[in-house]
Amino acid sequence: MKGRKPVRALRLGLLAAVLLVVPFADHNNAHVDFLANAGAFVLLALGLNIVVGFAGLLDLGYAAFFAIGSYSYAIFASQQFGLHVPFWIMLFVAAAIAALFGILLGAPTLRLRGDYLAIVTLGFGEIVPQTFLNLAQYTNGPNGIGSLDQPSLFGRPFGFSATPYYYVVLGLIALGIVAARNLQHSRLGRAWMAIREDELAARHMGINATTAKLSAFALGAAFSGVAGVAYAAKLDLVSPDQFGFNVSVLILSMLVLGGMGNVAGVIVGSLVLSFVNSFLLPQASNIAHTAGFTYLDFTNYRFMLYGVILVGMMLLRPAGLLPSAKRRAELEAALTDPALAAHEQTEYEGAHAR
Amino acid sequence: MDVFLQQVVNGLSLGAIYALIALGYTMVYGVVELINFAHGDVYTLGSFFSLAILAALGVSGELHGAALLGVVVVTVLAAMLLCGIVGVLIERLAYRRLRNAPRLAPLITAIGMSFILENVMQLWRGPSPVPFPPVIPNPGVTLGGVTVTTKEGLAIVLALGLMVALQLFIANSKLGKAMRATAQDREAAQLMGINVNTTIAATFLIGSALAGAAGFVSGVYYGTTWFFNGFQAGLKAFTAAVLGGIGNIAGAMLGGFSIGLIEAIATQYIPAGAQWSNVVVFSVLVLVLIFRPSGLLGEALPDKV
Amino acid sequence: MPPRVFTRVVALVALASFAGCASHSAQTTSGGSADKTIEIGIDLPVSGADASTGVPTRNGAVQAIEDANARGLPDGYTLKAYDLDDAPQGTHDPGQGAQNVRQFVSDPAVLAVIGPFNSNVGAAEIPITNDAGLVQISPATTNPGLTKGAAARKLRSSHPDVNTYFRVNATDDRVGATAAEFARTLGLSRAFVIDDDETYGKGIADIFAAVFASHGGTVLGREHLTKGQSDYKALLTKARALSPDVIFFGGTTSTGGGQLRRQMVDVGLGKLPFIGGDGIAEAAFVQAAGSAADGTYYIVAAPQTSKLPSAQRFIAAYRKRWGSDVGPYSANAYAATAIAIAAIRKALIASGGAFPSRAAVLANVRNTSGVATPLGTIRFDQNGDTTNPILTVYEVKAGKPVFVEQVSRKTS
Repeated sequence: MKGRKPVRALRLGLLAAVLLVVPFADHNNAHVDFLANAGAFVLLALGLNIVVGFAGLLDLGYAAFFAIGSYSYAIFASQQFGLHVPFWIMLFVAAAIAALFGILLGAPTLRLRGDYLAIVTLGFGEIVPQTFLNLAQYTNGPNGIGSLDQPSLFGRPFGFSATPYYYVVLGLIALGIVAARNLQHSRLGRAWMAIREDELAARHMGINATTAKLSAFALGAAFSGVAGVAYAAKLDLVSPDQFGFNVSVLILSMLVLGGMGNVAGVIVGSLVLSFVNSFLLPQASNIAHTAGFTYLDFTNYRFMLYGVILVGMMLLRPAGLLPSAKRRAELEAALTDPALAAHEQTEYEGAHAR
Repeated sequence: MDVFLQQVVNGLSLGAIYALIALGYTMVYGVVELINFAHGDVYTLGSFFSLAILAALGVSGELHGAALLGVVVVTVLAAMLLCGIVGVLIERLAYRRLRNAPRLAPLITAIGMSFILENVMQLWRGPSPVPFPPVIPNPGVTLGGVTVTTKEGLAIVLALGLMVALQLFIANSKLGKAMRATAQDREAAQLMGINVNTTIAATFLIGSALAGAAGFVSGVYYGTTWFFNGFQAGLKAFTAAVLGGIGNIAGAMLGGFSIGLIEAIATQYIPAGAQWSNVVVFSVLVLVLIFRPSGLLGEALPDKV
Repeated sequence: MPPRVFTRVVALVALASFAGCASHSAQTTSGGSADKTIEIGIDLPVSGADASTGVPTRNGAVQAIEDANARGLPDGYTLKAYDLDDAPQGTHDPGQGAQNVRQFVSDPAVLAVIGPFNSNVGAAEIPITNDAGLVQISPATTNPGLTKGAAARKLRSSHPDVNTYFRVNATDDRVGATAAEFARTLGLSRAFVIDDDETYGKGIADIFAAVFASHGGTVLGREHLTKGQSDYKALLTKARALSPDVIFFGGTTSTGGGQLRRQMVDVGLGKLPFIGGDGIAEAAFVQAAGSAADGTYYIVAAPQTSKLPSAQRFIAAYRKRWGSDVGPYSANAYAATAIAIAAIRKALIASGGAFPSRAAVLANVRNTSGVATPLGTIRFDQNGDTTNPILTVYEVKAGKPVFVEQVSRKTS
């Protein structure tokens, strides 16, 4: 292990260098814009991964926290109420507000069985954007809140180029990865894992399941709040139709694709899906048309493809492209032999204990 | 008072459609403990199948007498059969292999199937709402200021009738017993010689067929259908199933009518109520799950490991 | 293992981004002046629930490009639709819209953008096209703030005095006000106002309610529909209890106009007039409302279409090309694209065959005159809004729209 460390550091350094020079090397600001948007979704996926991947709580309304983060920025940093809290402070404030809502949602519902929890979160995900839509006297209803304050650094405003936001998101992701990895291997992370695998047993081992689950909800929501602030500031606009159920499912699909519970997998999953969804697929029709296939219109098949990814991944590679060893054991063993699942799980855990 | 009673009628007829969809949710959940997310889309598919059958029969307006009866029976049965087959195919394709996987896995394939079905319907009949022939004449009966139209009556009667039939079927038929046994303990049922795969397939067949019936009713009732209708209707119907006590047939019916009533009453008595009705419905769901997670008629469910 | 794979994949994505860049610049060198292909960017929502109105709108724009190519452009140039979707998650997404427009800006072959459909997407896109000096013509965004007043100047952050955003549809205020005044002339005084809680629908309903009240009418109630719901009987029963003499609906057929009208009959309000805007001015509304459609009035922000053979021709040609009926904004999209193409044509003639500049196309759009479109001849005022002051009121009788009156309304 020790001998490989420098190699790994070199690789990471190289990666960081590549990511840092992208905006200079690529003069197409649309690509930087895409990467910044995709980055916001990486943050969201990292947050949802804490809830779903680490703690095993299925959250189908995660976009609600994204909405709460975005609207926090719109309310505290725009002409809407004449409040102008700086962007950098809002990152923390929105994280706290989202976390608070995470706890408020989580506290009464956490004793529910898994799929009931999923439905409650789904209901919450429907209520939150609808409420922002309905409270038109505060939120401008369907028009949303526009002309948000521009972030600035050392007195220099960001402007409308995507590049500064790209760097902000990149920095946030770096922090998010460090936080997620540390959480995963912390005492709390192990408690989550224990609860995910067998809550009853975990409780008997003296783990305070309620606190652990609430922390998962709060921390996951906090990521979403931060992502919401960055996304809203970049877009200069917040409106209620940006946070529907489809967004929650999109983020969940990123986890499914990449590998639930594995930080690297989740990042890859979200990048790949963002790339397919907002870049490749829309361009595919144009490429096909240029090649002479004028009748092909891929955007008409978007949801089909989306569905096929979800079904196909779950059936053929349920643990994702980059599976976490433990989750793979849980997900794949069950496909072949349910009785073996528990046994293999302990073996995998032994093999990967740190 | 008239307004209140009229809203009760509105709520019940809306609730009847939720209830029909909820029956399928509750059956599937009761037997395989899966939220069949694609169920709402099977319901929409039912209205599209009905549309195709009516077109094949050459029906474009209102019918009367024997022709009306014949067309309605043929259309409903055919839509039910087709939806039932789709339901079985979905189970075979997307859920069966994941029966022993963590609960998350089949729920995700269910969402995937839902997207696929929506896209298929969009490609089939276009992205805009599609008009549905009226088929049934719609005179109303007015009693003391409250009007019940034929279609409202039909929705309520059909929902109640199908519920009773289903209840009897599950209580008395051999297949119904097999379903109950499978719901209680799949492995034990298998050991007792019950073909679990067939039983589960039958559950999907019946549940999806009921959604097909609901699809026909909603098409006739609203006069249009749309490929995206299933999402919200499915969500409300699931809420109804949970509210009534999931796995409980009468509960699904009760839950469906309750959700319909809540929506109608909220619309009437909350200022600008139409935009809050969904918020109210989902808030009710959250409150029920917190204070009575087993639902109105459900028994407390042991946490299956 | 995972970190290594992660590194690789991220590097791959970065590479793909470079490759995309490279292929795009390659495409521009060949796709620019050498290849004589001019692209028109189209940014509309064409996935999921938004597909219902977005797809027919996109079809209208594509059809205009196809027609122009069939006619031919000077010096052997051809047009190509560069067609992007701003609803990758099934509803229009301002973030995706902004990204798409940046994509257009970075491709020098793109000389004009058609879209977006939704006002909030427009708000996210205007700063970008304004900075790039790329002309953008929307077929459908109705929020007045996109073009008028301080809000619009704020959106044009790079060049507040240069407008690059035009629209061929009337803003909310004119349709709503005309509807309210017309309702008063019918002698109607008790209105129940419903909208679909989207920018367009809520916009015209707000104006209707204000103008109706200022002209001596009473607004009994104001309600908003929820997206995806199809049962409006509870809402209409609530309305009936207040005994209105007219229902106004701000919205479109696909957000519930037809079903609302149909269900009015079910709750015993079938005899009441039902008034709406261009959103329900289509065959699909009559189909969805069925026999209940009669007694509906709608206000169209265009001269009477039967006097415009171009509109009839367009509707027929659309059905032939796409095998379905036009959507509410198909003709608008066709008109917007036709204006962009006329501007490109003019720029091509002026440049003597050299690849036209975006500035030339922008100037030509600003000074548009005499371009025949399915909506009639369109010009733009200094804000970029259509000056076409004629609105037409129709009544549905026996399932057919019948001309009632024409109203001239100068832009404010």
